[in-house]
Amino acid sequence: MLTLTLALRTLLKRKARMVLIGILVAFGTFLLVFGGVFSASAKEASRNAIIENFTGDFILYSKKSKELPSPFAFNTPLPVIRNTERIEEELSKIGGIKTRTWYAQNYGLIEVEKDGEKTDLPFIFYAIQPDSYKDMFDNAAIKEGSFFGSGATERGILISAYQNAQYKENSGIELKTGQSVRLLGVTEGGANTVSSTMLGIFEPIHYSSVFNYINFMDAETYTELYNYTGVESLPDDFNAALAAATADEDSLFALAGDDDFGKIDVDSLTSQRLSGYTMLAVRLDDSSKADEIRKQLESIPDLDIKTASWEEASGFYAQISLGLQAFIFFATTLIFLIVIMIFMNTLIINVVERTGEIGTMRAIGAEKSFIRNMFLAETLILNTCASLIGMAAAAILLAAGSANGIPLPDIVSQFLIGGGPVPVTITPAPFIIAFAAVIAVSVLATVYPVSVATTITPLKAMNDR
Amino acid sequence: MNVIELENVTKFYMLGETRVDALRGVSLAINEGEFLAIAGPSGSGKSTMLNMFGCIDQPSGGTVKIAGTPTDHMNDKELTRYRRTKISFIFQSFNLIPVLNVYENIEFPLLLQKHLTKKERDERVMKAIEEVGLSDRIKNKSTELSGGQRQRVAIARALVTKPLIVLADEPTANLDSATGTKIIELMKTINATDGTTFVFSTHDAHIMNEARRIVHIQDGLITDDGKTAEG
Repeated sequence: MLTLTLALRTLLKRKARMVLIGILVAFGTFLLVFGGVFSASAKEASRNAIIENFTGDFILYSKKSKELPSPFAFNTPLPVIRNTERIEEELSKIGGIKTRTWYAQNYGLIEVEKDGEKTDLPFIFYAIQPDSYKDMFDNAAIKEGSFFGSGATERGILISAYQNAQYKENSGIELKTGQSVRLLGVTEGGANTVSSTMLGIFEPIHYSSVFNYINFMDAETYTELYNYTGVESLPDDFNAALAAATADEDSLFALAGDDDFGKIDVDSLTSQRLSGYTMLAVRLDDSSKADEIRKQLESIPDLDIKTASWEEASGFYAQISLGLQAFIFFATTLIFLIVIMIFMNTLIINVVERTGEIGTMRAIGAEKSFIRNMFLAETLILNTCASLIGMAAAAILLAAGSANGIPLPDIVSQFLIGGGPVPVTITPAPFIIAFAAVIAVSVLATVYPVSVATTITPLKAMNDR
Repeated sequence: MNVIELENVTKFYMLGETRVDALRGVSLAINEGEFLAIAGPSGSGKSTMLNMFGCIDQPSGGTVKIAGTPTDHMNDKELTRYRRTKISFIFQSFNLIPVLNVYENIEFPLLLQKHLTKKERDERVMKAIEEVGLSDRIKNKSTELSGGQRQRVAIARALVTKPLIVLADEPTANLDSATGTKIIELMKTINATDGTTFVFSTHDAHIMNEARRIVHIQDGLITDDGKTAEG
């Protein structure tokens, strides 16, 4: 009680200095809480935007793929998943799957005529099952036409408004809803063309910086365009001989010279129409079970698939919010270090100013622990009050922002959370962390000043005139 | 009974490369109930000797005994406990705790002795306040008091723990002569009524003559140890 009385009155005696320190600590706490809540909210918003609009909880893709699947990246198309029916069968046995949709991504050309000359416009297409895609994802705002007809069952293509505008500006070509178009796809066997119809023009709702360049095509058109037909399997002896011959060059040439090799009984082959899908996005009833279900799927023998989490499938987009968290952590740590230095300096000044007082206490019989506790109490009273004020200010601002979200410049918002204001999710964690950090840092900041204070001897009080 | 004994005590300091001998083999015994002045010019070693009595400085050589117990091998904690229970100080600059009022300043050393109840503390504080004549200033802060009143508070704070000895380092140096005389008279009265041992340092001839025993010190050596006419 004596320690608290002394601490409280000393703080009140040095009001101006302590108010200044209090403001710094309150500001530091405010930043810590606001930054913590903001980055956690941005992370949650980013996660939701990616899962609910592009990837689901995870993406299933071919085991042969050397790259991760990503609706956010446009590299070489991934290997086609051939056993879609088997996968569907296995998925139906696993509980907890809410929705799923197959899709693929590829480059394509739209051939248009302008002034009597043919021009090919390059596009990136998502080949989708329109009905299941629409059920699962809501990432396209239709500006003209419809999303593959009223029941999402029509065949055709949807073009991004941004890309259409770009082509209009750069080439003077504008695609219109209802227009017949000729699509060109490059396959292993050469170029292939398919006639199609412009079903509409859309704007992406999320991550427009990427999805302005994405266009949609129904899966049937895609299969025709890229000629996904083939044979179910080749004879086992053919496959075995081919595998053995790849060991060295001589064996391979010997195999080429073998007249009997490669004679396939065509009548025994079964024609199989492939979909061309390269990815299956899966949404679960409970997202927390994603890892468990992924392991379960990957362990099924001969399913020939791998899975990627939504974070892996989002490319670097999921990392942006993590980066933001790291930046906020770094910035607040830096600010806190500065506050600590100022705080420590102020405490040392206090100690020097109070040499006589401390020495007197020691002469009267106060032990070093009493002096230590007195300074600690001063620090804790001041910093606890200041941090509570900082937390209250952050809570008020966050509560105000929670109604409509925290607004951000569109370009920042698009990269960070896929667009729009950041919906605020207030949880106790950032408050608890901030408070604990302030207390821990306060205690640490007193270590040196207290060590100086406890070295003050009663002799100094006698000499302190 | 000897309250304090110094046996051939030496104390030197290093000022850069120069050795300063503050005490050069001092031996002295102070009995219970004495009212003793240590007199000497500035730099003679008065304060150093008081520091030895008060266990706030350690000798370079020789032995200091408080109530018959040598203090030279005591650690900081033991010395602090000794000061808390057996020795009290009156400082030249009063050294009151600025954030506490008169009552709280006097109560402070009792709060450090954790075994006392609130009632016991209250009784002791009120008695000490009455003794120094500050009953009407209980709630005042030290900044609201005159120099003489502050020194009275310091005396009350020194007495409240019922110490073996009260050490006063030039207690009147910051007071005008009339107030200084009153303070010494107050200390003398308390010494006479309670039997509390007082040792004070001074270079003021008028003040030192109030003592019943005067120890003169010069250049770190006791040059005279005698009684005044009054004593």
